[in-house]
Amino acid sequence: MSESIFVVDHVTLRFGGVVSLNDVSLHMDRGEILAVIGPNGAGKTSLFNSLTGVYRPQVGSITLTRQDGSTMEVIGKKAHRVSATGVARTFQASRMFSALTAYENVKIGAESHRGIGVVGAMLRGPLTRRDERQSDDRTVKLLQFVGLQDRANTISSSLSYGDRRRLEIARGLATQPQVLLLDEPAAGTNPSEKRELATLIRRVRDEMGVSILLIEHDMKLVMSLAERLYVLNFGSVIAEGTPDEIRANPVVIDAYLGTTSTAEA
Amino acid sequence: MSRITTALRTPMSRRLITSLATMAVVALMTGPSGSATQPTVGPSGSFGEHVSIFGLFPGPRWLLFFIFALVMWGIWSFWLRRGTTIRTAASTLTTPPKRAFAHRPVRWGFYVVLIFLGVIFPHLVTSQYWQSVMVEQIAVFVLLALGLNVVVGFAGLLDLGFVAFYAIGAYATAWVTGSLPTPAPFGIHLNPFFAIPVAIALVMIAGVLLGTPTLRLRGDYLAIVTLGFGEIITIFANNLYGITGGSYGSGGVTGKHGIPHFSINLGPIHYRWTLNPVPYYYLILVFVVIFIVAFSLLEHSRVGRAWTAIREDEVAAESVGINPLKYKVMAFAIGAASAGFAGVVTAAQTIFIFPATFTLQVSINILALVIFGGMGSIAGVAVGAMVIQTGSMYLLHTPPAGYQPADLYMYLGALLMVTMIFRPMGLIPSRRRRREIVLTESGEGHMNEVLSGENP
Repeated sequence: MSESIFVVDHVTLRFGGVVSLNDVSLHMDRGEILAVIGPNGAGKTSLFNSLTGVYRPQVGSITLTRQDGSTMEVIGKKAHRVSATGVARTFQASRMFSALTAYENVKIGAESHRGIGVVGAMLRGPLTRRDERQSDDRTVKLLQFVGLQDRANTISSSLSYGDRRRLEIARGLATQPQVLLLDEPAAGTNPSEKRELATLIRRVRDEMGVSILLIEHDMKLVMSLAERLYVLNFGSVIAEGTPDEIRANPVVIDAYLGTTSTAEA
Repeated sequence: MSRITTALRTPMSRRLITSLATMAVVALMTGPSGSATQPTVGPSGSFGEHVSIFGLFPGPRWLLFFIFALVMWGIWSFWLRRGTTIRTAASTLTTPPKRAFAHRPVRWGFYVVLIFLGVIFPHLVTSQYWQSVMVEQIAVFVLLALGLNVVVGFAGLLDLGFVAFYAIGAYATAWVTGSLPTPAPFGIHLNPFFAIPVAIALVMIAGVLLGTPTLRLRGDYLAIVTLGFGEIITIFANNLYGITGGSYGSGGVTGKHGIPHFSINLGPIHYRWTLNPVPYYYLILVFVVIFIVAFSLLEHSRVGRAWTAIREDEVAAESVGINPLKYKVMAFAIGAASAGFAGVVTAAQTIFIFPATFTLQVSINILALVIFGGMGSIAGVAVGAMVIQTGSMYLLHTPPAGYQPADLYMYLGALLMVTMIFRPMGLIPSRRRRREIVLTESGEGHMNEVLSGENP
């Protein structure tokens, strides 16, 4: 078995009386494209927010293995600390820095893990200028990588949905992550944009060596992209397997289509 | 009937009604006040009293204000149609941002001219009153506005107690020069020049101490806490008789000697600042230039970008590894630094300092300068501070008939309202801030997500 990046061990997340994640256990291996699917309200985004330090589950543990092999407990860490250990993400409704240009958006990602350097910034010494150049280089490379080099100076909020998704991916990659979490990247995009997005996600894994964790509603996209899937329903993992196994799993079909014996999902 | 209500609902007539109502309020506010025995004097005098209309012919006050209302309506409807402004601004969103003076030599030429004007300016002002106003009310407030702009404009934190840092800077100067009832640290009485680093360090520490616990709060809560902090500092200054001299000021009841002026004793060079305001003007000018250069480099550095990111979407900023608390505390400390320096200059120039100088009204005044000038725009807040402070000092010096000093804040409030309606981004808007406002107006940006209650 290859090395794990995330090991989620019996995690429960409650909001008051509402159980959002119920005793969830799963693991993610380095280098795979893993997908989490499930009906609306199944707890997919809650899982993402727990993995990135935005939410703090009450029970269980989430262990993250860094690139150098050391491990870290995610629960209880602030989101910026989790980001610093190489976890990047995109958001369900894409969250850009909307008044900034595409270029500035990516550059913020590229330079966020450096020290703060106020004095350097005020004096603009040679070290600061070298840092700036490095961030600029990385920003340009990433904009080219996602195919937005011609839109670098466009204000991010006037980009199309598909472009915003790609910009968010570039911004995440700029933080030099080991794993990229994508929350419904295909939402609101048209079929041709979806195909481009699938190609891009595969390239992120193959060319940059970044593992991918994906939440997606579009079954065609998920089944063509993911190598392994988890199915969540009502906050619990109900199935795990390859796309073919999931397609044939009667429990999954129940959850999605509903049968006479289950309540409507 | 329905035709009348429809006619009243058109934008043109709505603007007319608003203008008439506004001017009616202004007429009432500026008119005579009634008394317990003659309560109707106020309203009837406000509208009926005969005045000279533009010095042309006598007429009742209502006619004067009716003309004002028509002028306001005309300007509003034909000159400043807000819808079109927003539309044109939105269309510029797709084009890349440009610098005001894109051509480098032109830009540097412009700066040189500005500095030259700044240097020769005191020689153009000959009146004693205006020379001291130039230092105490204009230059000092430019410094304060530049500092608050870092907090409010760059980092997007509403600070209603900014005067606290000004006060700490001033009292720190009095302390290290040995001019407070409490003895100076280690018994050494410093020249105010050495008070500059000490005072700046102290206000920055105060900024970190205040910021670390409170900057976890957002929006209104932060505003209330900073308001409290400003009050606490003033109350301390007022009540710690043995340390600050209380309401008697830094001299205390015993009438201790005043805070010394700045002086230079470097080998053969001896120079003493005196009561003459002009040398202080040059000292502040040097520091204003330093602060402007430092703050604008900061704005265009990764620190400035991180502040923008936090202001626009804190959750997204955190997801790319920005620690919001750290950057906010930093904005507090950096903004406080220029207020601290303003405090040093005020203390050294006025010799005695009093708690009454550091009231809530000053905090609000500084905030008004920043909002009027354009939040986040360095040029804007500097020009805004000059315009408003010059205006209020002019009103104080040569008051028009019937003007009371206490009326100032009424006019200032009206000016802010008009600014918010016609030019919400301020006098000289910052490019980023303008885009943010345009996006919010057109329904984009994260504010809508916040309002619709979507989970992060």
